[in-house]
Amino acid sequence: MSHGNAPFRIDIGNLKSRAKDSSPQAVEKVDSAGEKHGFVDREPKKQRGRKPSPRTGQVHAKVLPHIADDIANEQKRTGKTQGVLIEEAWALYRSQKATP
Amino acid sequence: MPVITIASPKGGSGKSTTSVILGTEMAHAGAEVTLLDCDPNRSITLWASRSALPPRMAVLSHVSESEIVRTIKQQDADGRIVIVDLEGVASRLVSRAISQADLVLTPMRATTLDATIGVRALALIAEEEEALGRSIRHAVVFTMTRAIKSKQHTAIEASLKGQGVDVIVPPLMERAAFSALFEFGGDLRSIPAQGRMDGATENAAAFAQEVYKRLVEASQ
Repeated sequence: MSHGNAPFRIDIGNLKSRAKDSSPQAVEKVDSAGEKHGFVDREPKKQRGRKPSPRTGQVHAKVLPHIADDIANEQKRTGKTQGVLIEEAWALYRSQKATP
Repeated sequence: MPVITIASPKGGSGKSTTSVILGTEMAHAGAEVTLLDCDPNRSITLWASRSALPPRMAVLSHVSESEIVRTIKQQDADGRIVIVDLEGVASRLVSRAISQADLVLTPMRATTLDATIGVRALALIAEEEEALGRSIRHAVVFTMTRAIKSKQHTAIEASLKGQGVDVIVPPLMERAAFSALFEFGGDLRSIPAQGRMDGATENAAAFAQEVYKRLVEASQ
């Protein structure tokens, strides 16, 4: 097929889009038409459940029984984990040490 | 503006190459073109990242199944030709993109495997036409063809035509310049010379012109 050297030009005025139904009902029809031919949902599914915690470090602290009770009560009151409480206490300790 | 969906459930059939060739040729011919990259392999995005986009072209990446209808609708109202490049799988994203198309192109290599799997896209189009009560213009384009047509190519083409399938002539031939588009980005006029560039440019332009003809017919 020869198109010679005449440059190919597009006249955008010649191009008209036809109305297409994009209503939820139409999409549903299209989905079920697709499923008949094996065109199914293949979107990667988001992982369910809680994201893994970034807190992977561990301390092995033994404290006096009444301190352990205090920490447990504070944890219950604030809803924070013991790890978070220790982080906060550590931050406080560092800031106090930094203060002359 | 018209929406062209490039669809085949067969991987490696030449969908992204067809999308880039068609988009760049249509932009070169004066149209504003948006390429929608709906393929998780991000071939179009990779092409777009290689160099500056040719004039009048835009690329939208990471379009998912839940966004496809809305995204096409937004672009459709924007006065541009929209080309949708899809992943080579049978997915709901494909069926939704077909439902919003003015023209569906199914690229296939001239092999029995490509034809057998590619024909599933044609069956899906027929099913959607029935479900939506509108005709969806579609055509097959052979890709990566050789100068001398194989017997298999001739037989597959005759079989498709015998079933009333529109086959675009010229096919997209196997050319170094076409695959180099993904190495350098840009279009056939901006990449460094690869083999017979005039042959590649002529092939691409003639193909785009045939697609344009069908778009005009589809919009009558």
